[in-house]
Amino acid sequence: MEFNDNYPSYETMYNHTDEEGKGKRRKLWNVFWIMLAITLVELFVGFNATKWGLTGGAFIKWGFIILTLAKAGFIVIEFMHLGHETKFFKYTILLPYGIFIAYLIFIILVEGTYCGYTENKPKLNPIFMDQKIENNAKHGRQYINETHGLKLSTGEAPKVQGESHHKGAEH
Amino acid sequence: MGHAVQVDEKEAWSGGQSPFRMSYGKMMMWFFLVSDALTFSGLLSAYGFVRHKYSDAWPAAEDVFTHFPGTHAHLPLFYVGLMTFILIMSSVTMVLAVEAGHRKDKNKVILWMLFTIIGGFMFVGSQAWEWYNFIVGTHEGALRMVWDIDSGKYVSQVFHGANMTVNEYGPAQFANFFFFITGFHGFHVFSGVVINIVIFINVLAGTYERRGHYEMIEKVGLYWHFVDLVWVFVFTFFYLL
Repeated sequence: MEFNDNYPSYETMYNHTDEEGKGKRRKLWNVFWIMLAITLVELFVGFNATKWGLTGGAFIKWGFIILTLAKAGFIVIEFMHLGHETKFFKYTILLPYGIFIAYLIFIILVEGTYCGYTENKPKLNPIFMDQKIENNAKHGRQYINETHGLKLSTGEAPKVQGESHHKGAEH
Repeated sequence: MGHAVQVDEKEAWSGGQSPFRMSYGKMMMWFFLVSDALTFSGLLSAYGFVRHKYSDAWPAAEDVFTHFPGTHAHLPLFYVGLMTFILIMSSVTMVLAVEAGHRKDKNKVILWMLFTIIGGFMFVGSQAWEWYNFIVGTHEGALRMVWDIDSGKYVSQVFHGANMTVNEYGPAQFANFFFFITGFHGFHVFSGVVINIVIFINVLAGTYERRGHYEMIEKVGLYWHFVDLVWVFVFTFFYLL
């Protein structure tokens, strides 16, 4: 069978005049400014998250995820031009993520949280833990013994030997 | 955007047509990107699993990546913000090169492609600097227990930085995922820069001028935007959350 490829050639489909190009460029720059603004908001919030007591909260988590998806949407729809392709092509590209990856993320995070419960984690030798705490105290660091096991404080070591000073102990 | 010829809906799927109204090469680039994005989804999901499992011991990124070139000040997230800005900017110059290609404006294509390549190199360099600081670590370092054969017990040892087995900032798996995911992404950026350079040379040689269209710019542009897209997710899940 002869391949009857009568879809318009690339030139007639996408090439445009200088006049049309002006409008397109303006649109692309607008998209860029929006994405820059989103990134700056993310950085500002991320920088102040600890100060505002938002770290680890559901609010900040979902806020970041929504802003990220907005940015990703701008890239895919405008920069990669997917918003202007045919309907079925959009489905072909996006449905695998809407179905499989959405489910993968859901199930893997649920299972990850389950594995993180204390009873599902391997126990550490208590003598080993005592030694660890003792040795770290010597160096001005401390292991905080929590319900779920061990946690290393991420504060700076003391400037003066023996003086304990934990800046980031709340993490 | 005038589509000169419309394909009849009923005939479109009977074969011998292009129902997506798209050239073969561009469609295959899209399909490659879909598969590549699945790989990154898998990596980031695995990261999410481990992070949820060790949520109590996981370090906050703003305590790990606090450096900025030329200063010793404590500036968390600034450097990665700059990297993100560079990559988004190079994505914009790429799309402007595509737009110039649609107008067959060879000089503008050359100009924007050049900016894109420079942006790509800047990003890869920034990532190398970030890795360097992460591997070298802080001056204070952290403690770990090592088995001392002579005394027959565990003794403490100071170590600095992170590698595949130890990580002064938190669990070693944080470092493993960091190296693997940002490394895999950095490899993509590097490949993208190489591909961009090849296309750039073709533009200079007038290959697409003779061909009558600049579709190849659009194809490599898709790849370049994809690299930016992945970084948006890596940025969020590694540095912000």
